[in-house]
Amino acid sequence: MPLTINITEGTAPKLALVGRLDTETAPELDRALDKLLQPGRKIPQLVFDLGKLDYLSSAGIRCFVRARKAIEPAGGKVALVNPQPAVRKVLEIVKAMPRGGIFASVEELDAYLDEMQKKVGHDDD
Amino acid sequence: MLAVVVPVYSAALYLSFRATAERLESDAIAEADTLAARLANGLDALIRPVESGVRTIAHQLEEVDPPPSEYERRIRGLLNAWPEVYGSTIAVEARDDDPSASPFSPYLYRRGGEIRFADLATEDYAYRDLDWYRVAADGLAPVWSAPYYDEGGGETWMVTYSVPFFRRDVAGDRALAGVVTADLDLDWVLRTATQVALGPHGVGWLTPVDPASEFIAPIGATTERLRDFPVDPAVVREAGERMLADGDTFGSWEGAANLEMAYLAVRELGTLGWHLTLVLPRAALLADARALLGNQIGLGLIGLFVLLGAIALVAAGIARPIRRLAEAVGGAAAGGDLGFALPETARRDEVGVLTAALRRLRDSLQEHVRLRAESLAEQARLEHELEVSARLQQSMLPHDDSLRALPPSVEIAVVLHPARQVGGDLYDCFPLADGRVLFLVGDVSDKGIPAALFMARLSALLRVLGAGGHSPDRLLAEINSRLVEGNDTCMFVTAVCGLLDPETGRYCLASAGHDPPLLRSVEGSVLPVTLENGAAIGIEAAADYPLHEGVMAPGDTLVLFTDGVTEAESAQGAQFGMERLTALLRVGNQPAPAALIAAIIDQVASHAAGYHASDDLTVMALSFRPTDALPRVAGGGAGWLIEVEASAVGLGRAGRRLRAILEAREVGGEPAHDAELLAEEWLSNVIRAGASAGGRTLSRLTLDVVVTPQKIRLEFLDDGAPFDPLAAAPPDLDADLAERDVGGLGLHLIRELANVCHYERRDGCNVLRLELDRNQES
Repeated sequence: MPLTINITEGTAPKLALVGRLDTETAPELDRALDKLLQPGRKIPQLVFDLGKLDYLSSAGIRCFVRARKAIEPAGGKVALVNPQPAVRKVLEIVKAMPRGGIFASVEELDAYLDEMQKKVGHDDD
Repeated sequence: MLAVVVPVYSAALYLSFRATAERLESDAIAEADTLAARLANGLDALIRPVESGVRTIAHQLEEVDPPPSEYERRIRGLLNAWPEVYGSTIAVEARDDDPSASPFSPYLYRRGGEIRFADLATEDYAYRDLDWYRVAADGLAPVWSAPYYDEGGGETWMVTYSVPFFRRDVAGDRALAGVVTADLDLDWVLRTATQVALGPHGVGWLTPVDPASEFIAPIGATTERLRDFPVDPAVVREAGERMLADGDTFGSWEGAANLEMAYLAVRELGTLGWHLTLVLPRAALLADARALLGNQIGLGLIGLFVLLGAIALVAAGIARPIRRLAEAVGGAAAGGDLGFALPETARRDEVGVLTAALRRLRDSLQEHVRLRAESLAEQARLEHELEVSARLQQSMLPHDDSLRALPPSVEIAVVLHPARQVGGDLYDCFPLADGRVLFLVGDVSDKGIPAALFMARLSALLRVLGAGGHSPDRLLAEINSRLVEGNDTCMFVTAVCGLLDPETGRYCLASAGHDPPLLRSVEGSVLPVTLENGAAIGIEAAADYPLHEGVMAPGDTLVLFTDGVTEAESAQGAQFGMERLTALLRVGNQPAPAALIAAIIDQVASHAAGYHASDDLTVMALSFRPTDALPRVAGGGAGWLIEVEASAVGLGRAGRRLRAILEAREVGGEPAHDAELLAEEWLSNVIRAGASAGGRTLSRLTLDVVVTPQKIRLEFLDDGAPFDPLAAAPPDLDADLAERDVGGLGLHLIRELANVCHYERRDGCNVLRLELDRNQES
């Protein structure tokens, strides 16, 4: 079972990963991200839905790190949603994401985003 | 036959003799006794009136006292009354007191047919001195004289009855006045006695009281018999007197010389006092019985011979035709020719019945032989067809060549033993275009040609439809829907069909009413695949076949079989059964499929030794043996040595192999994930390190996986440059993302995830051993 990447485009694109993200498939995600993260494009939010990701190795983690490196400097944020326990364990061991970068569900993420929105609004004020 | 007839005949004769002798004896005895009584009574009855006549005269003389001139008239009446009386007289006693009373004795007697007169009182004839007068006169009582022969008078034997008579004298006393006599002619007695019919044996006679008397009157015409009689009559007489003294008139008598035993009948005449004696020798009676018996035996023998002759005649009449029949049949039996002729006979007896029965037997035998010859020819033709069919059927089954054409990772062995020349079992196994291997084992409900034809259809459908790559559930459903059509004979097939991926060991199975296959693991466990059954093929048009999916670890073997294996019966009726089969499969260390099959065939054959197999027997063993993963039995579990090609492709392949092994051993969830992760991180690290070390290729890179119920142990070996991952500094995970060295993450993960980490440099190789608990808390 290789990797399937379902991309939901938008200002805040969402990538639903299905299958395995490992040494073999990581280049596929890298290519998808290359396409997505065009130089000059400002992405405020990049969401990886890991609900159907069964396997994650360090090669995959590097993809997420790459994505972070690409958008965080521009104020963007990478969010990982709903990882399976084994995947979550790996993510936590290597501290691949900043505190608050992993969400248990889409709702949790939405609530978090709403709060961020308000913050931004305040900042604008 | 003589042995039966003669004894029976003899016994009958003996009994007859006994009965005859007894009857003769008792008849003769009764007759003799009766005869004696009748003769004595008859004589007495004749004599007694004479006695009373004489006494009457004497009485009248006393009472009436007629003058002497009257005397003649008196006695004439006597002679007139009884012709047996020869003569009679009234002899007067001379009285001294009366001289006028001179001797006077008028005597009337018969002579020449008339009665003559004479006076006995002559000078010469002093009657008063003679016995006939004296005894009566002196005794004053009637008396019979002894018999005497009357010479010069009657010229005959006589006996005289003398009765005294009396007269009153002047004094009134009763004095003897004379004697009245009557001479009885004994000729008459002799005649009467002689006229008696005495019967064929015995003698008898009348004898006077005086033993000295010469007179003897034979009874019956037995004069000659008396002469020949061996015993002196005097002796007999003594015996008779003894018997009379004892009050007996009849009895058996023994003891006389010359006479064994005799019956004796004795009477005393009430008148004369004479004795009447009858002697009946017993020997003579028995001789009569014997003579009778002799007659009977003679007649019996004649009868016997007549009987034997008749039997022989009848027997010959039956035996001869039977012998002719036997010769006719026996000759045919020896020559094997059933066209033999039987003698014609119109007889309606047993011989006729037997001849007719033999004729029917011969005819039906001829018919039977003809039918037998026909059926043998038919059988030979059928056998030839069967042989052809069997060859055809065998040709439908995959050959060894086609089995060898399967992917190298699939090792297969099959045996099909038909119970008959053509069988109802089938199997097939062939690779599909995508590399997967389709396999099937089936059992048609029947045997023989119809089953073989049905099987041929199934076989063809399988080849055609199977090549389309359908999964077994769909394939069985397709085949079923086609075979249900026009299945008027209502035959059906049970089958297990499967697909095996020769790369991964993944397989799927579907069963149509068939026994589930057994899965033999590397570790030696044998378990039936938990497979839900669908309906047997050929019964329901819309049958549904559930699919079972599983993974074989390298070295695992699937065993498919038909019930000819489990239901093979021993001579005692015990079935081979699943338990025997399971136990048999457990034996050995990773036996090759061919060895497994051989063992099964061997054991089933010895189980059913000497017992004809009633069902076809098919076994297929399918082993997954990829070349890059060598299985072995390892303490408490199994181990696999995976050869890893030092490339990205090799890394992926090794990962899939590991994953399949873990799945086959039902390791899932985090332990499986972590094990895969450990392998990927380390192997990719080694490969990358090797590549970065100037393109030097690794000549050895292996992963040894051991799975036990508790642990997963991964041991990596490579001959790359020495590198101890455990000695490497942990990455600074808190460092800024931009500055972090991503390469260290893998090693970090390894150290964090493995429960046990151990590194050593061994024989120029890096050896890293990692262990994971299967029951780790998540």
